[in-house]
This record gives sequence, C-alpha cells and structure tokens, in this order.
Amino acid sequence: MMAWASDPVATAFMTWDAYTSRDALLAFIRDTVLPHPWFRAVCLAAGAGEVSGEVPVGAVSVTPTDDRCRAELGVVVARAHWGKGVATAALKRTVAAVFADLDGVERVEALVDVDNAASRRALEKAGFQREAVLRSYCVVKGRLRDMVIYSFISSDPLLD
Amino acid sequence: MELQQQGDPPRAAAEPTGEVVTLREFMASDADAEAFMSWASDPLVALFQRRDAFEHVGQARRYIFDHVLPHPWYRAICVGSGSGSGSGSGAAVVVGSISVKPAPAEADGRLFMASVGYRVARAQWGRGVATRAVRAAAEDVFAAWPWLRRLEAVADVENPASQRVLEKAGFVREGVLRKYIVLKGRPRDMVMFSLVDTDRVAGGR
Repeated sequence: MMAWASDPVATAFMTWDAYTSRDALLAFIRDTVLPHPWFRAVCLAAGAGEVSGEVPVGAVSVTPTDDRCRAELGVVVARAHWGKGVATAALKRTVAAVFADLDGVERVEALVDVDNAASRRALEKAGFQREAVLRSYCVVKGRLRDMVIYSFISSDPLLD
Repeated sequence: MELQQQGDPPRAAAEPTGEVVTLREFMASDADAEAFMSWASDPLVALFQRRDAFEHVGQARRYIFDHVLPHPWYRAICVGSGSGSGSGSGAAVVVGSISVKPAPAEADGRLFMASVGYRVARAQWGRGVATRAVRAAAEDVFAAWPWLRRLEAVADVENPASQRVLEKAGFVREGVLRKYIVLKGRPRDMVMFSLVDTDRVAGGR
C-alpha cells in the first residue's frame, strides 16, 4: 500500500496527503481499512512464470453516506501500473459486487477533479454516468476545487 | 461560525412591487407553533421533505424547541409589514420557514459549504415569496459567515416550482443527481443548484 499511498503524484487529486511514515499507514489500515464496510485491494493476477500470489497495486473503497441509498467511491492505483486499464477493471468489478454487499445502497457516486482526465476516463469506461460539475465542492491540497460527479445506479447496465 | 443575534431587525428583501418579505428568528411561542402548522401539517408541502406532515400543534411546538431554536440558522418567512408576532404590532404573517445548514467541517476543521432548504404555506405559493426569502437568506449567510464559498440546494426532479425558485434566486443549476436522497422511503432523483461566492454581484452583499 505504501507504493501508492506515499506517492505525491498518485495522491495529487486525493483529499488526503501522501503518507510519509509506515506507522501512520499501519494506523490507517487498522483504524479505517479493516473495520470499513467495503474496502478492497486491487490486485493483478500473477503472470506466467511468476510466483503465484497477488500483490496489491491499488485500493478501492465504497463508503456509505448519511443517506442510506448513496455511497461514495474512491480508487487509487500505484503509478507504475497507470495506463493499463487497472482502475477501469477495478471499477467494473466494484459496481458488479457492491450493491449486493451494501444493504440499501442504490447509488455509488465518485467525485473527480475537473483536471483529472485519467480518472474521468476510467469511470466512463466502467459505465458511470457524468451528472454535473459541482462548483467549489472539495478542498484538495489546500485549494477549493470544482469536482465532476459521476454515478452508477443499481439498475445501470454492467459493462464487460 | 457566527450566529444571528436575537434582536436583529427583520431582514427585508426589497422588491419594487408586492408585499415585503422579511426573515426573523422563531420564538418558543404558541403563535409561532400555530403558524408553523400552516405549512408543516400540509401533506402537499411535506411531499418533497424527509419529514411527514405534522398532525397536531404539539409536534410543531416540540420541533421548534428541539430542532429550530438550536439550529445554526433557521428563520421564519414573514409577509407584510411588521415583525409577524401576530400581537397587533403589524400586518406581517409568518408563511413559511427557511434554514441554512453548514456542511460538516473538513478533517482540518475547515468550513466552506452550506445547504439551504425552505417551505412555504400553500396559500402563499405562486407569489415569489420563496424566491425573495432565498435571496434574503443567501445575502444574510454570505455576510454572516466569511468562510462560506458554496451555498447549495436540491430540488426533487418532480418539483419544478422549487427549481424555478432557485433559478430566480440566482442559483446555478448544476445537474440531476440520480437516486440521491431517500424521501418517504424512496430514493429520489434531485436537481442540484449552487450559489458560489464568485457568482454574487459585486456590491450585492
């Protein structure tokens, strides 16, 4: 997890700062990840000739909100694995599973910085609908940003 | 965050014609509880709210005490001159309510967003009361809360009257958020509107 969580480039659009200490990251895993209702490691299957065992290259989480029907998705991928469709594949698998796992949730939404073209493409390729630009919506790295909001509804078609 | 002080003069929204719409704080009085019922007991008004319609004035009294008085920003919408206290001090009548709720602070304690909601008695619909109340509320909270950058509101996709209120009040329609909020047990599609500090006309504070 440190591979992406400590990378300022991979975390540039995150509302949280890159981790600089292993202890802080272990505390995050203990306090947030393990008790979380839906937090998954994104793993690449071992290739031919490699030792079997899946290594996490990213993480995806779906967090219920105060509204029962709505949950917010976050995804991060280590920079070494960008540009290979990892995020898109993780998103597809997420929307295929999460509505059965989280009772009452009918909407999964994702907020993306207007300048984060790669994440926007991943969401679109996974079948998310772009709904709006929410102005002055999130503070990221000390700046107030406009965010594009995407959603996937339980009745939306799953893309292969 | 600053709170409106008791005893502030009623905030007037100036209109070239028509009755004056003012905002004032609620009181823990029988008169205000009864006025509250004029919209809070109406199932048509409650249709697009989370709350069910009240059935007796005791519920309004309790709601004012438990929810309205401790609220960061909750105002009675008054129409006509005077303060709407209904005790001979003027012709103003309380016809609705409007509230602005700051969004929870960020992890670092920073506040920058709030959301506005409003309800008007059915007899007063179609006269621009809600529009004037929303404009007045926006002026007030942007002045009272220097940290405020975004004021947002949602209206049910099947509530075009409320969507028009927000548009006429100067809010920008951002888009439809599908299955966004559960109302009366069903997830509803909502239209999201916002007013950001840079939208506001220079000198309009």
